[in-house]
Amino acid sequence: MTAARSPPPLVVRRTTVRYGDRVGVQDLDLAVGAGEFVALTGPNGSGKTTVLRAVLGFLSPTQGSVEVFGRPVEALSIRERARTIAWVPQEESLRDDVPLEEYVLYGRYPFHSFLDRETPAERAGVRALLRELALEDRARDGVLSLSGGERQRAVLARALAQETPLLLLDEPTSHLDIGHQLDLLSRVRARTRATGVAVVAALHDLNLAARFADRIVVLSHGRRVADGTPSAVLSVELLARVWGVGADLERDRRTGLPYLVPHQISVAPASSEPPASLGPVHVVGGGGAAAPILRRLVDAGYLVTAGALHLLDSDTEIAQALGVPTALESPFAPLGEEVRSRHRALLSRAKVITVAPFAVGPSNLANLEDVGPFVARTPTYLLRSPPIRERDFAEGRAEVAYGELLRAGAHEVDDLAGLMRELARALPNSVPPAPAATRETP
Amino acid sequence: MLPAPASRHRQRLTGRPWTIAGLAGAGLVLLALSSLLGTVPVPLAAGLRILVHQLSGGALFPSTCAGTGVSVPDCSTLTFIVWQLYLPEVLLALVVGAALGLSGGALQGIFRNPLADPFLLGISSGGTLGAAILYVYRIEVAQADLYLPLFAFVGSVATGLLILAVARGRSSSVETLLLTGVAIANLLSALLSLVLLYNPVGGEQVSFWLLGNLGLASWSVDGLAFGVVLALGALLALFGQDLNLLQLGADVAQSAGVEAGRVRLKVILLASTITAIAVAFTGVIGFVGLVSPHVVRRLVGSDYRVVLPGSALVGAALLLSARDVSYLAFPSSVFPIGIFTAFFGVPFFLFLLYRQRRLTPMGTR
Repeated sequence: MTAARSPPPLVVRRTTVRYGDRVGVQDLDLAVGAGEFVALTGPNGSGKTTVLRAVLGFLSPTQGSVEVFGRPVEALSIRERARTIAWVPQEESLRDDVPLEEYVLYGRYPFHSFLDRETPAERAGVRALLRELALEDRARDGVLSLSGGERQRAVLARALAQETPLLLLDEPTSHLDIGHQLDLLSRVRARTRATGVAVVAALHDLNLAARFADRIVVLSHGRRVADGTPSAVLSVELLARVWGVGADLERDRRTGLPYLVPHQISVAPASSEPPASLGPVHVVGGGGAAAPILRRLVDAGYLVTAGALHLLDSDTEIAQALGVPTALESPFAPLGEEVRSRHRALLSRAKVITVAPFAVGPSNLANLEDVGPFVARTPTYLLRSPPIRERDFAEGRAEVAYGELLRAGAHEVDDLAGLMRELARALPNSVPPAPAATRETP
Repeated sequence: MLPAPASRHRQRLTGRPWTIAGLAGAGLVLLALSSLLGTVPVPLAAGLRILVHQLSGGALFPSTCAGTGVSVPDCSTLTFIVWQLYLPEVLLALVVGAALGLSGGALQGIFRNPLADPFLLGISSGGTLGAAILYVYRIEVAQADLYLPLFAFVGSVATGLLILAVARGRSSSVETLLLTGVAIANLLSALLSLVLLYNPVGGEQVSFWLLGNLGLASWSVDGLAFGVVLALGALLALFGQDLNLLQLGADVAQSAGVEAGRVRLKVILLASTITAIAVAFTGVIGFVGLVSPHVVRRLVGSDYRVVLPGSALVGAALLLSARDVSYLAFPSSVFPIGIFTAFFGVPFFLFLLYRQRRLTPMGTR
């Protein structure tokens, strides 16, 4: 195959699509390679379907370009597009009870001129497709007699009959039960492996996305906010930030893939611009030292963020249970650059920084060091007991870092009550009304 | 071997050629017998001999009515009646019925609406207004045979183009087009009422024309109608697969390669022109275009590659039957045929509707 040299199936460059005044997609960059399965995910209204419709040529970008195999999609005729891109819509309105086999043959439309009809080879191809999708017994039945799972496989079969190198799926599993969801997506997955077809699937189920996709692209308000492998992208912090949902991040023991167990709507989902009086108050902690502070702050109605914590840490559990956005690292690993940068992002948004009296070891020393640059412009409070000397497990480096924070202007407080008093002073009007349920606006 | 629903479908599919053959055979018999039906009774034996004689160019039955008890002068009168009056009327009924059935099937497909019929887009209103202007202002009444179809055709086509132009300017959605058509049709009806209100003379003729009749039939009219309807109808019938895909929605159809907008425009133009031809020669014959596609769908399924030619066949059979029933019921008078298409077609349609109501009719999903 010349796949390596030929232009990529899909390149979306700095593309903006508007519906009148409303922005559907903003400045989107997206590239999909041959044989790649990319899941497009994000909350409702985040622009997933808009992206797919722009790729199909149904919507014209106001800026940027959509290129399919190196050619702008609008330069392709409708027939050429149909031979290049196939589409499985969320739900197809099947009105007429045509036999399944005839329905799948609709996919051969772009290969025929006005006068000729399907060849025996095409009929055989459709039969093979039906076999592959476990629908061969139903070939002569009317499409309206199919069950929901069969029907969606039938739609997939029709799209696959177009034999395109690029396949778009728009929430293909949203009307299916869990068994049929897995079934449909594993068939698509197998197809990409077998034929090298590139797949872009809008999926709102993150766990399905993590399980089947090579890459997950997360959209929020029409912008791309994350793009990477499932392991790199999926995080509790992401779910809280983009969906406003608290969750536990677990790892599937068999596949090793991450999966999220959502458990509550955040009391106060993180927002990039929360009302100033509410915080956010950022708590640096670990090993359970931050837990009482987190509880108290959330109870008092502050917007709270935390970090950088390790998975399986008791502070992490509390933070997740409270719906507190957190930068998270794998258990016992030193804080990685990505986690640290997420942590710094949280720190930079904080109106007040609080450092819990946590045990500092080599794996989380970076937490203290990362606070440093923010002390000058953000009121920073260090809880002094137990003293840093007693909880320095980093050969004295923790004590050095602590000292630097103090020199930079951080204040020490004796206990939680003292912290609350300082907060009331640092954030006036800080007895907030009911917790706001604002979503982020990037 | 197969579960019940599967075998039902198999039956419907393998039954398709037989259904078509049956319809064609019944049509031929109907055709021959119909040619002997009219305001003047024609004895069966003599009538059949006259038909064969004329069709064979005089080679068969050279002495035409010999042995049937019909005198030679009567025989030549009957020959004139059968060959110059009845047969052209029968053929016009077939052509117009086919035109209306085909047009109805195509428009139901384009609009994805089971209530669509050929007159949906104001074609009939425009045609009627054109005809009314002719009658009311008595333009060249001496040559009504020529000018009536011309006025009606121009009125129909002008209306169709006006609607397409107005709808295209705003949005290309099917609903817009449909509503524009309904609005313009109402406007034209109001205009027609206004014209008739101030010019009562001709009103009766207009209302008679409104109900449809085959009185203009002649070999030359038939030839013209047949030529146009066959040419445009054959072209229209080729859009069967496009219509099949459009049933999935314009977006899905387009993703599968159908140029939805262009197909829509072409099909509407073809169907409207065919309808305009029918309206021009026979006035407004209702029900045929609405019901024929439903009959076909119920008999052989919803594949538009079959529904389109099938609707033409059923439409032809339906209009011819209506003509025959009108002569059988009222042997010596000419009734507006539109009345009989309803009388004859409605019971048949209702029968089909309720006999097979378990099947999913179009449009209920």
